Amino acid sequence: MSIHSIYTISQDDPEARNWLSFFQRRGYTNLTNVRIERVVWLEGSINLERLMPLFINPLYQVPAETSQLDPQQGPIVEIAYRPAVTDPETPSILAGAHALGEDGLQFARLSRRYQFSGLDEAEAKGLSARFLYNKVVERIRDPHENVTSLRPSGKPDPVGKVSLRGLTDDDLMALSRERSWYAPLSQMKVIQAHELERGRSYTDAEIEILVQSWSDHCYHTTWKSLGLLKKLMAATREINHPLVVSSFTDNAGGMDFADGWVVTIKGETHNFPSSIAPFGGIATKHGGVIRDTLGFGKGAYPIGGTTVMGTLDPRLAEKDVPAGALHPELIVSESIRATAYYMNPMGIPMMHPIYRIHPGYAKCFALGHSLGLLPKKYVHKEQPQPGDMAVLFGGSTGRDGVHGATASSAAMTGETLEKESAAVQIGHPITERRFTTAIPFLRDSECIRTITDLGAGGISCAVGEMGADTGVEIDLDAVPLKDHSLTAWEILLSESQERMLMAVPPEKLEEAQGILRRFEVDSCILGHFTHTGRYVAKWQGETVVDLNMVFLWRSCPIDPTPTAPPERHLVPVKIAEPHTRDDWDRAIQGVLTHYHCADQSPAGTRYDSTVQGRTAVGPYAGKNHRMPTNIYVSAPLRGKPNGIITTLAFNPFYGEIDPAVMARLMMFEAITKAVVAGSNYHEMVLCDNFYTPRVRPDTAFELVEMVETIASLSVELGVPFISGKDSSSGTFESGGRRIDVPPTLAVATMGRVLDVKAIVTKDFKQAGNRLLLLGRYDAEVLGGTVYADSHGQRGDRLFDAYDAISMQVQWDYLLELHAQQRYVSASAIAEGGILLRLFEGAFGSGLGARVDLHGIPASRRDGLLFGEFIGACLLEVSPDFEIPAHLAGIPHHFLGQVTAQPRLTLVERETVIWEESVSRLAENWSETFREVVK
Amino acid sequence: MTQARTAILYAPGTNCHEETAAAIELAGGKAELVLLKDLIGGECRLDDYQAAVVPGGFSYGDHLGAGRIFATMLVARLRDQLVRFLDSRKPLLGICNGYQVLTEAGILPGRTPGARTMALLENQSARFEDRKVRMIVSSEKCVWTEGLAGQVLDMPSAHGEGRPLFCASGPSSTTRAVFHYGDEHGRATMDYPGNPNGSPGAVAGITDESGLVLGLMPHPERASQLAHYSQDGLTIFQNLVKWLKQ
Repeated sequence: MSIHSIYTISQDDPEARNWLSFFQRRGYTNLTNVRIERVVWLEGSINLERLMPLFINPLYQVPAETSQLDPQQGPIVEIAYRPAVTDPETPSILAGAHALGEDGLQFARLSRRYQFSGLDEAEAKGLSARFLYNKVVERIRDPHENVTSLRPSGKPDPVGKVSLRGLTDDDLMALSRERSWYAPLSQMKVIQAHELERGRSYTDAEIEILVQSWSDHCYHTTWKSLGLLKKLMAATREINHPLVVSSFTDNAGGMDFADGWVVTIKGETHNFPSSIAPFGGIATKHGGVIRDTLGFGKGAYPIGGTTVMGTLDPRLAEKDVPAGALHPELIVSESIRATAYYMNPMGIPMMHPIYRIHPGYAKCFALGHSLGLLPKKYVHKEQPQPGDMAVLFGGSTGRDGVHGATASSAAMTGETLEKESAAVQIGHPITERRFTTAIPFLRDSECIRTITDLGAGGISCAVGEMGADTGVEIDLDAVPLKDHSLTAWEILLSESQERMLMAVPPEKLEEAQGILRRFEVDSCILGHFTHTGRYVAKWQGETVVDLNMVFLWRSCPIDPTPTAPPERHLVPVKIAEPHTRDDWDRAIQGVLTHYHCADQSPAGTRYDSTVQGRTAVGPYAGKNHRMPTNIYVSAPLRGKPNGIITTLAFNPFYGEIDPAVMARLMMFEAITKAVVAGSNYHEMVLCDNFYTPRVRPDTAFELVEMVETIASLSVELGVPFISGKDSSSGTFESGGRRIDVPPTLAVATMGRVLDVKAIVTKDFKQAGNRLLLLGRYDAEVLGGTVYADSHGQRGDRLFDAYDAISMQVQWDYLLELHAQQRYVSASAIAEGGILLRLFEGAFGSGLGARVDLHGIPASRRDGLLFGEFIGACLLEVSPDFEIPAHLAGIPHHFLGQVTAQPRLTLVERETVIWEESVSRLAENWSETFREVVK
Repeated sequence: MTQARTAILYAPGTNCHEETAAAIELAGGKAELVLLKDLIGGECRLDDYQAAVVPGGFSYGDHLGAGRIFATMLVARLRDQLVRFLDSRKPLLGICNGYQVLTEAGILPGRTPGARTMALLENQSARFEDRKVRMIVSSEKCVWTEGLAGQVLDMPSAHGEGRPLFCASGPSSTTRAVFHYGDEHGRATMDYPGNPNGSPGAVAGITDESGLVLGLMPHPERASQLAHYSQDGLTIFQNLVKWLKQ
């Protein structure tokens, strides 16, 4: 069969220019030019001329039969997929060729040739390995390679046997480590004992399924041991909220919305893969949490997403990055590229793009949420019935992500980067997009008995869980492979992305397959559900798995987790109060340009926020559409005013001071952000995502504290958690040094809104209006604030002024004011304090503000401006606003007024102590993040 | 007489078809989602529709080039239907990825399937740009913008490849700019991000010499519902409905 190749150069290539500046910024100062040549490889008897329009647009692409790069201009590195792996573009190329009548095309591949002028060969290869390809599936192609066929080839290993008979405890642990199982001794011993009971050794597939299913990532052993999920579930049951239709038991949580529709929420972290291979890790973070939506009930449709990143400071000097960790600048910039790469083609609007830093995030925090929509009658899954077909659909199965679940559950060390890179999956949004379109059709035609996504643990976990109460028999030879060297256990455990599993009643099979074909979704009949209570898998004529479901799901030993209060070494904040204009200027600039307060739109505007036509208020708004709103409002049902508001609270600084108080504050902050915009907390649900260091008595103590706090506060407030996820693997070890993540909790709200047009945003509306600080404040408390951090301090005390009742009284009052349209702009106080809200309100409106610091009793002026008074709000009210007599008990303080001049002015009595134009402030505010991500 | 129907053509990777159909319905029209595969398979025919829209998204993953494979399918498999559609003076709209499809197919600006005379290249910033833009309507004759000349329409824009490249000879005689990116004073702008992709001449959308085919990068369907921050985009669909009723 003949092989053809087409070498293409683009005359105008912003991507090449972009890489050039990317590499130059990362220290490749000798690099003078980057050129990219794209190569198409075709196998078959074809008329190349006829195919050319598919590969070349002559207006800007120049094709040739051989390379157009002049080797004199610098070393060339050609990157291609490994021979055993299929290119994601191959099916598209074959479809295009078929359309052109070229059915003789047998196979196609792509490769990219990069030329690096100014570098030597070794530098070029080193740079490529670091930034341009993923060793798990790609390679540098040898230019002299003799290509005889493009089709994937490879030979699988035979099935292996594993016996634990007679192994000592030490042997068992050595084996557990050696095989990357990371299973504790108690589990290894139960597996050992079971071998004797059943009277035969294990196949490698069986033992891999066991350790996989019992890993912390899949089985949540830590949470089970501490009884944490039970606590949250009990709290939600106690609240017994009439709007909650599904909580904690499915892939997401569901809330009744309107007109027979339900909205769902789920948050998922992907910290380990994102730390070692950020592009792949972040892409699959989004892919995975979106599939949780698709796999909720009988299939929900994703209508919103978030990306939340906690990393080390990207501005760290190379020498200060812990050995074995990637530079945080790379993690952040790669994560941005990956979020755009995955979310935009999925056609899911970005609701909250949030980036935070903390010196504990050597192993980064990578969280994504997904919001979904489905008809109420499809909220509950059914049990698969014996005889139902197990249909696997979506992408093919490859080598990516083998051992992802067990590796995620372990701590990360300096060596992990090398050793476990196979645990990182590769994401292809077009594949997921295809079944995202198909699933509502499958659901609405009653083809789905139950559905779930393939995530951690791959086929092994999804099939095992779905068939837990019946039994299941599958045929691994049916699984479409993109890597033909996979052996049975690897097929079972592969965490290749973009795959879903559903149980289909036999009489619906044909219809289901027809729908999948219509939307060009690949599928296979993996097997069927039985009544045997056994998990059976066959491969190449052999039975490779025959496990008892009861043993698999009921025998995992849960080790007790001891807890002990941690020692904290906290130092009070000591900052000299600003006096001169210059002092004030430094203080204010320090806060506005702080990573957490600065303009993050250079990242946020790379994500589509309006696709689906449901967005009422996006992440940015105001006059120039760059003012962060801190809310997202969707109008899910077209033509209806009903909306869903989401908000987020996540603050790594607070957790370091007091995890339990942080947890309360995150709930208050997230809910207040929604309430002040006009959403009733009685029609709101929550989603929690924890990230804590590896379990030790002190970290377990903190985790329990946090969970107990949010469980009891949710009951007191009547606002239930309906979904959540935890990861207790936030520990990085390198060169004898241990770096723990700060106790981390992100709280997301999802609330109903009667009319999206009634939502109030934070941009000022009218010069002459008065600015009102509503709620409690304490200028003495600066612990955990951005202001303290900008002075390199953390502090020892958080602003914690509300209990459930006082908070509710204030929320009720806010809702009353909102209903009477008594305020026209509003924001909840959080990071950056009052000052940041004044700036954002002015920036978003083209107006200004004049604030009289003398009008409010405060021991410190800086504490008043920069204190993070969680629970309090800044409201813009008309000049004649009067405090209702019956609510005089709620603290009200008039701060000043909105001005026509776009300036921020601080006065004390009549003396101006500081003044600056908003545009001038905006310049610096805009610069921080642009520097980081450019 | 039955109501005129508008086909919203979609393929794997298209992701704006539902809101586009909703915008046409809101404007008083009748829209139907038509799978490209069904057209090719003969399950339905373009001839049965009085207008068509190719909506936004990432058709076929934008593999080999934005809109390339969708366009290849149109030109190679549906050429006769397309030519009949154009010859019978039916309106056609391409939004974002749909605009890329129409240029890759040679339908814009030259109305000649298979003969490409313009391309939409990667944004000057080399990144996807999610922005709100101001679209200044020119006085070029176009059924989609009739009566709107001189107005400034607010709508979202979200794409990675939207910078037009016209044939070497410059904008051809058949190219007519209908929309320009505007600044806050309503003047055409080259400033980023008001002009989000670096489009030369600030061209944001073009029509052909018949004024029936419109291609634009920003998304009028995302500025059409009451819930949206702007309803300026609705006027474009209202013009379609008006035209179909004539």
